[in-house]
Amino acid sequence: MSETISATIGWSAHTDAARAGNDAAERALERLSPLTPQLAIVFGSSWFDQPSLLGGIRSVLGDIPLVGESTAGEITPEGPASHSCLVVLIASNTLRWSIGRGEHVDERPREAGQQAAYACLQGSRGIQRIGFLLFGDGLVTGYADVVRGIQEVLGTSSLIAGGMAGDDLRFSQTYQYMNDRVLSRSVVGALVGGVGKLGVGSEHGFAPISKPRHITRARANVLLELDHRPAASVYEEYFGADLVHQLQSQGLGRQGIAYPLGIQCEGTDRWLLRNVVSFQEDGSLFCSGEVLEGTWLQLMIGSRELALEAAHRAAQQAIRSLNHIACVLVFDSVIRRRLLGAQQAAAEIARLRQTIGPSVPLAGCYTYGEQAPLDITSVYGRTAVQTGSVLVVALGT
Amino acid sequence: MPTKRILLWVTIGSLGTIMVMRSSNWLIPSLSIMAILGSVFYLASQMEHYRTQLNDLNRLRAAYDQLDQQAKLIIRTDVELHRIQEELDRRLASLMSLHQLGQQLQVSLHPDEVFSKLDPAIVTNFGFSRALLGTCTSLGTIEWRSLIGMTPIQAETLKQHLIESKLLKQILTNPAPAALQTAALTDPAQQKLLALFDVPFAVVAGIIPHTGPAGCLLFGRPGAGTANAKIEEELVAILVNQLATAVENSALYEEAWMAQQALEQKVQQRTHELAQANSELMSLNKAKSDFVSAVSHELRTPLAAIKGYAALLRTGQFGPLAAPQLERITKVEKHADLLTQLINNLLDIARIESGRVVMERRAIPLDEFLSTVQDMVRPQLEAKQIHYTTDADGVKALVGDPQHLQRVLVNLLSNAIKYTPEHGSVQVGIRREGPSVLLSVRDTGCGIASEELPKLFQEFYRSSDPINQQVRGTGLGLALVKRIVEAHQGHIAVHSEKNKGSTFTVTLPAE
Repeated sequence: MSETISATIGWSAHTDAARAGNDAAERALERLSPLTPQLAIVFGSSWFDQPSLLGGIRSVLGDIPLVGESTAGEITPEGPASHSCLVVLIASNTLRWSIGRGEHVDERPREAGQQAAYACLQGSRGIQRIGFLLFGDGLVTGYADVVRGIQEVLGTSSLIAGGMAGDDLRFSQTYQYMNDRVLSRSVVGALVGGVGKLGVGSEHGFAPISKPRHITRARANVLLELDHRPAASVYEEYFGADLVHQLQSQGLGRQGIAYPLGIQCEGTDRWLLRNVVSFQEDGSLFCSGEVLEGTWLQLMIGSRELALEAAHRAAQQAIRSLNHIACVLVFDSVIRRRLLGAQQAAAEIARLRQTIGPSVPLAGCYTYGEQAPLDITSVYGRTAVQTGSVLVVALGT
Repeated sequence: MPTKRILLWVTIGSLGTIMVMRSSNWLIPSLSIMAILGSVFYLASQMEHYRTQLNDLNRLRAAYDQLDQQAKLIIRTDVELHRIQEELDRRLASLMSLHQLGQQLQVSLHPDEVFSKLDPAIVTNFGFSRALLGTCTSLGTIEWRSLIGMTPIQAETLKQHLIESKLLKQILTNPAPAALQTAALTDPAQQKLLALFDVPFAVVAGIIPHTGPAGCLLFGRPGAGTANAKIEEELVAILVNQLATAVENSALYEEAWMAQQALEQKVQQRTHELAQANSELMSLNKAKSDFVSAVSHELRTPLAAIKGYAALLRTGQFGPLAAPQLERITKVEKHADLLTQLINNLLDIARIESGRVVMERRAIPLDEFLSTVQDMVRPQLEAKQIHYTTDADGVKALVGDPQHLQRVLVNLLSNAIKYTPEHGSVQVGIRREGPSVLLSVRDTGCGIASEELPKLFQEFYRSSDPINQQVRGTGLGLALVKRIVEAHQGHIAVHSEKNKGSTFTVTLPAE
């Protein structure tokens, strides 16, 4: 029996949630026929009534295992979209999927990671593990602990990749999907095992603009001092007091995410990006991921050209070890979408398609954070939380 | 390396000093002093070198700081550029949304439909995350038609506040879009509106079409308003105008549609009435045919008796007849014959109308057909010395009932002969035209007045022309001809010019 992995995509922009879910699932299923799907991955706009959306999908797919999340925009094979629903169906005679969830990720991130990984492990005993796809709440920042929790169950060498759910930049509530359940403040995972390969590539396309600043005080995600000064005052130096005051009073909005903080990975030219999520009263900055005391940090700036080039490189990294690509999932930071603008965001998807091949099914979403392995980050662990990057996950043989 | 040299010279200097202190020989102290002086000079030169390096380092640090200052300028410029770019993108998206909405609204057939066309994509493209759009039938009522980013309960609470605080009345009487920002508001009602809408920035506007229901639009977003709220208001004004125009168009369409519906209903009613009248007429016609048929049958029996007795009288069985008697008996017979013909025609018309006569459909050899007909009218032709010609134009046969088609041609020829003066001419023409065969009878007779042509085929119609009064006839011949032709799925037409002659053309299916 030959090893086959097939994947199809269905997309709908119907304004009615149930109808959109139904249409997208029907289209994907129709294209997959006569194969039976093993897993459904759903990317749904946060604008939809979520239970209705999932109800529409389940009315077509029945009890097929389902994972997914709400988005800050959808990535369809034709280009970027909003207010729509994407359903990816995967069928294979060599892959085995098991899914699991962990709740209260805002309160107990490590336990949530363990919970999701353990549930997945229960369904895949004795099967060789390939990787773990992670979908999580994008408004929660403790993903370093989530990953630790997952690694405690699956082992530190496990490949973990995924994107954090968005809500179209409303920063109000994001959703995670598992089977017929719509969750928030949760992580959902899909453990893939059997015979197959998962290729991962991650790049961001931001470059340092400020001089390096020494992180003289930090605690987990909180950046307290840079060069022995309150971190917010350094931030203020670059953006001006007025703008920082505006950001503090109105929430960060656009600027907060357009200029991430870059932490250079020691001895390399790679940068881990951290987003400033909020300003604290004591002049510290709350970041989207962990920051370590004693390391150096620079303010980063992006350009459209660099962002497009990064997408190409990420796709190349993802597919380089694969002989046959069954499908490609893209988790692209919402920062990049805003940096690129509508036209260039479409160009980015075209560039990705060009790199992976025009016939390969491609789907994904714009995220509030990406979870990708960085093999050079001994300090931050093998799997690192990223912000502002494009993560390409290729499934194949 | 320099450190080692310094150490070496310092060591030599120190040894020299010790030797000076311990020795009385002048040479050694001199050498030692020289070594010490050398060390001092070297140290001085090294100090100078380090000072230069320190200056360079400071210059580099200053340059680095300058670069960082420039980076700050670049960032602030970039922030501004991004802000402008984003604003432009948003306006472009708003305009594209307006264009798309315009297209969608064009097909809105009902004003309520217009108010339900607002969708999340439009709201996002306008840079907002919440929206409410409703219809207002008065200054104190509102019915939400589109809810974006709001639950029905939240929308209901907001509605109550709009009505109770008279804000709705204010919006509808001053419908121009107005931007509301929490920080700049002093009116408690407006502050509460933003609180209930759960946004710090909103744009509210009234929709006042010339015809159709009025409406109220609220847009809101969690972030603050842009630097230029005026532009936000202008964009919303375009949207509001578009909605108002769409409401007007749909109201007009609805009006036109209602009028059309009413008209259609009237047409249907009239059609029904006409159908009923037609049905009644058909019943009456059938009753007439039945009556004519019954009466004709009843008339034929006594008429046969009259003819029989007249014939007996003429034979003289009941005694010889005087000349005047014979003349009267001949007249009785002649009128009886005429009456018989009249009754037969009436019976035939009634039979054809009632569908009791089935027309045979078979090929009739044309030569034989024309020859038979000519034999039948020959006495009349000869009596008036009429020049009779036929032209078959290559047609070999007619298709139909031979007996009835003979009656058609005989009738038409009899009429032609009757109305054509002596030595005139009558021509029978037959030709093929597409799927039909055209049989025409042309004469050089007195012709028919144009106003009489439409009535020519009606039963018992006889021309008012004085010439016609001299010619005997029943007024049923042409009516019968028309019925027979129509029973063959054909039709008959007449072309005539007064004093020049007439042409009757019968069109029959060729196959």
